[in-house]
Amino acid sequence: MADPTLQDYKNDVPNAWCPGCGNFGILQVLQKALVTLGLPPERVLLCSGIGQAPKIVHYLNANAFDGLHGRELSSAQAAKLVADDLTVIVHSGDGGAYGEGGNHFLHAMRRNVDVTHVVHDNHIYGLTKGQASPTTDQGQKVAVHPDGVAALPMNPLALAISQSCPFVAQSLSSQGDHLLDILCQAIRHPGFSYVNVLQPCVSWDPIHTYAYYQKHCYRLDASHDPTDQGAALRVALAHDGRIPLGVLYHNDRPALRAITEPGCADLRDCPDRPARLARVFDRFR
Amino acid sequence: MDINLRITGAAGQGMQTAADLVGKALARAGLHVFIHQDIESRIRGGVNFSQLRCADHPVSAPRDRVDVLISLSEPSLRAYGPAVAEGGLVFSTVPVETAGCPRCAPFFLSELAKAAGNEKTVSTVAAAVAASVLGLPDPLLDTLVEERFGASEKLADVNRRALALARGAMNDAGLAGRFALPTAPATDRLFVSGANAVALGALAGGCTFMAAYPMSPATGIMTTLSELTHEAGCWVEQAEDEIAAINMVAGASYAGARSMTATSGGGFALMTEGVSLLGMIECPAVIVIAQRPGPATGLPTRTAQGDLRLALHAGHGRFARVILAPRTIAEAFDLTARAFDLAERWQIPVFVLTDQLLQDGQTLIDRPEVGPVVRHVLTAAEAAALPAYERYAYTDDGVSPMALPGTSRHLVCVDSDEHDPRGHLIEDAPTSRAMCEKRLRKVATVEAAAPAPECTPHDPALPLVVSWGSTSPVVAEALTALGTGGPRFNHLQLTQLWPLPDLRAVPAFRDCARLILVEHCAGDGLDGLLAQTQLRAPDRCILKLDGRPFTVEELTARLAEEDSHG
Ligand SMILES: Cc1ncc(C[n+]2csc(CCOP(=O)(O)OP(=O)(O)O)c2C)c(N)n1
Ligand code: SF4
Ligand SMILES: [Mg+2]
Repeated sequence: MADPTLQDYKNDVPNAWCPGCGNFGILQVLQKALVTLGLPPERVLLCSGIGQAPKIVHYLNANAFDGLHGRELSSAQAAKLVADDLTVIVHSGDGGAYGEGGNHFLHAMRRNVDVTHVVHDNHIYGLTKGQASPTTDQGQKVAVHPDGVAALPMNPLALAISQSCPFVAQSLSSQGDHLLDILCQAIRHPGFSYVNVLQPCVSWDPIHTYAYYQKHCYRLDASHDPTDQGAALRVALAHDGRIPLGVLYHNDRPALRAITEPGCADLRDCPDRPARLARVFDRFR
Repeated sequence: MDINLRITGAAGQGMQTAADLVGKALARAGLHVFIHQDIESRIRGGVNFSQLRCADHPVSAPRDRVDVLISLSEPSLRAYGPAVAEGGLVFSTVPVETAGCPRCAPFFLSELAKAAGNEKTVSTVAAAVAASVLGLPDPLLDTLVEERFGASEKLADVNRRALALARGAMNDAGLAGRFALPTAPATDRLFVSGANAVALGALAGGCTFMAAYPMSPATGIMTTLSELTHEAGCWVEQAEDEIAAINMVAGASYAGARSMTATSGGGFALMTEGVSLLGMIECPAVIVIAQRPGPATGLPTRTAQGDLRLALHAGHGRFARVILAPRTIAEAFDLTARAFDLAERWQIPVFVLTDQLLQDGQTLIDRPEVGPVVRHVLTAAEAAALPAYERYAYTDDGVSPMALPGTSRHLVCVDSDEHDPRGHLIEDAPTSRAMCEKRLRKVATVEAAAPAPECTPHDPALPLVVSWGSTSPVVAEALTALGTGGPRFNHLQLTQLWPLPDLRAVPAFRDCARLILVEHCAGDGLDGLLAQTQLRAPDRCILKLDGRPFTVEELTARLAEEDSHG
């Protein structure tokens, strides 16, 4: 079969994002990453929930499971456990990933199913018109918080590193080369991989603009050892006004499917049920 | 002929072990048993019992009258000793003055266990006493004790001694065979709990994925499946919560595994948005709701039939679903297997409503005949042969061919938003209406296939009793007891509660002058549903509010009252 091309990943579904939105950058890079990795669309499953970011799964040609707000990780992990031959990538908003679905995020890190979780972090609830998300800055004035958000923002990178999440990275939607490299590494990682992608929302967030990120972001260099959990945590907790981009942390915990034997190689087609059951029944005599 | 034997004690004292041993011995003696558990929501202590109705014919209903009480603790003896029937027997672990316990055997179970060399053998002593009083041949229990404890010579040895000492004491007291049942040639029956039966039925129905969060009385299903995964081929995932569980089921089903979850009412309440997702993306799933009394945490280890409306109305928007309710443990196997077939055939959620009585109950079922699993999804070859593929292609019956992602060059897209036939989100009115109409056609398809109910009509002039689930066998036995001088009621038993068939086509329903519903809940269950769908509300509802199962004696009395009032 011929190598997949960018053309294979294009479709004609009308796009509903605001012009200038950071999501466009992520969409372009995702298509490039899948081509770079030589994956044909039918071997790729994109899972998402509800929000602006999650709509991405409709805007390129691949299998798509667009489920409930915040529940995308649950469906994605199960699909991967069943169809191990699919490459499964999950796209969430920061609201879905860290708010509605926060518990699932915590447990996906523990469970370590081989899926890639890409969070489009625009620090806002985009689709519901600009309310605070778990990553909105303290004091930022947004819908429902006219006096500014009182709660502290979550630090999802530090959280993930502290939980020994197998792969933790951050990138920026407007730095295509960087994002491409990070996405390819994340998808290749044989276990749960998590990428927080900073994504300007041009409609609801006048603070975290492209220019803002250009000014505050820096790329981790060779002096950072991503296998050093303590060092990674220090980077994530630096509080120095600078935003790290790159792979903060990774480890080589084996993925769940690699260490668990489910009794048949392919859960879609488990042969010999009558014979297997005959043996099972004997246990109840 | 049946003998009701109650083994009572504190949680953790080995009542379950004793009940298991006796249950299996009865199976091997060609007899029948129905065991139900009356347990408190605690791990140690309290007053619990396992009650074994041992009979020479199949039984599926609890009885009040206790013939033999085996008590392993003093509080248990005080609680249940006085209730033992005239002519009954009590075996106790504690020395109680003969005057305080007129039916007590003249020896103490704990002393026999101590003499055997290990106080923990009291469960084996209890089993030996039960087997002896029922007149079961010794070798049956000998073998079972070997099977259970044989791995450790030391354990096997003390348990062998416990058996011998208990039998000696029974013989000396002249109590061996006091309530002997006529043994028959052993048949190939399985000794299973309701939870076991649901799990085995799921495997027979082709289930290869289960995700669930523990909650009584549903947990036994995932426990059973987890112990059978390697042999049967099934993934069991303990989810972080019920919301994760139902969304995992959706993902696994989409990817091509026949999938299920199991929970109780409170856990299911968390799943309702997920049920709606299943409806929207037309995803097969089997959802077992093992009912217990609510609201909220209610009585965690007790029984009820109060979640019918919850299962029926869970999830916003209209879409097809099926609700099944097995009456017996044997039927729990059959209906769970059937649920997987229906779920995939129509790409819908199918509910199996059980309850604590069924889940924790144990009985003997005939070894089921299991055929190969017949799938209703496109094979890789069938999908590959299609020039194009749309997951939500419009069809007459509302069911679109289901391809599995990654098995052909075709893409499979599903969306919880309203979508076009390809599965991509849309907003336009014509597609919205067309997709909704497709789902409504499926509702009609599923409705048209509703099976006729089982009805024992005698004379259309008689009052009709309607029941469903585990209450039905109790009603049936009560009606048999009441009908010795000729039938006094007709009986209609429902095993599919949604969609309901047109009961007005059933003469005993259409023509009855008096309609009586027996339902284990506080009301607003099937009564309202009959009024809504059959335009006939029950004249009388016999309900139950205490979380204890209906018993044969109780329903006999309450139905007799209906008869005379009628
Ligand atoms: C259960 C549920 N609650 C609320 C909503 C409404 N809702 C849709 S998207 C969203 C938040 C979107 O924020 P985010 O996840 O950050 O995605 P974004 O739109 O910013 O990309 C909310 C609250 C919903 N669809 N489902
Ligand atoms: S609301 Fe913000 S995040 Fe959503 S599409 Fe518009 S710009 Fe992008
Ligand atoms: Mg957001």
